[in-house]
Amino acid sequence: MQLQDKHRVAILAAYALALHGFESLLPTPIPWLKLGLANIITLVALVLYGFRTALMVTLIRVVLASIFIGTFLGPAFILSAGGGLASVVAMGLSIKYFKNLFGTVGISLIGALFHNIAQLSLAYYFFIQRIEAVLIISPLIVLIGSLTGIVNGIISDILIKNLLKKDTEKIQNVVHW
Amino acid sequence: MKETIKNTTLADRLLFFLLISLSVSGIFISRDALSQGSDVIVEVDGKPAYTLPLNADKRLSIDGPYGPTLIEIEKGKVRVKESHCRNQICVRDGWTSRGAIVCLPNKLVIIVGGSNKYQKQGIDAITG
Repeated sequence: MQLQDKHRVAILAAYALALHGFESLLPTPIPWLKLGLANIITLVALVLYGFRTALMVTLIRVVLASIFIGTFLGPAFILSAGGGLASVVAMGLSIKYFKNLFGTVGISLIGALFHNIAQLSLAYYFFIQRIEAVLIISPLIVLIGSLTGIVNGIISDILIKNLLKKDTEKIQNVVHW
Repeated sequence: MKETIKNTTLADRLLFFLLISLSVSGIFISRDALSQGSDVIVEVDGKPAYTLPLNADKRLSIDGPYGPTLIEIEKGKVRVKESHCRNQICVRDGWTSRGAIVCLPNKLVIIVGGSNKYQKQGIDAITG
């Protein structure tokens, strides 16, 4: 990994960390409702700089944020890490194989969906172990996840376009899939 | 932002509407399934005596210290039709589909809805 890539990962992880921390301070009407703002950074990293950068950014974000918030290796950390990894992998695969089919908003939706699926399965295997409870709660979680996924996708799309427009020399660094 | 929405592909929109419609219908289906699973639990003297499905009409007479109490289940609701206690609070509660009816003199508690009422356990909430 080149020095420039390391700087890029560090800066992106810092942005993601800031959004993650900010989000955990926001009051939410339902405890498990989160906006997933850090996924914006993941998606931007994925589209502009490739899968490895996005994966590193997500890992750094999840681990450091849980240490700062105080949930490291706790149930919230397991859910957060599983959701983050599943969403990066799903988005990376869908960009690789369906790049012509989905736009940024669609990729964001896929990421949100797999984030929710991973969290629900992890919650089932480790914490709840009652399939009815998971089945009852999952449609609501998927609904909220799709709505926040759309919003995050739109923000990411605008961000990506502005970044591409502003410094054209960065286009040369775009990873070709 | 308008430009972004305009630039979404057909697959994007299809995925969005599929997810929204699936989850909304899922919410309604799970709610239906939940209400069908409701039970009426009749407790006498603090011990569960009967567990009856809420969707089957039934009449039940239970003996207590003040004589028999007549419980009626009809159209997903429960009431105490007749009781020989003094206050008649349980009778005045009327038809109930959620919550509980209590008749203290007869040591009778009727709990309505949620067959898993006594099995709830585990974590209340997870943040992060």
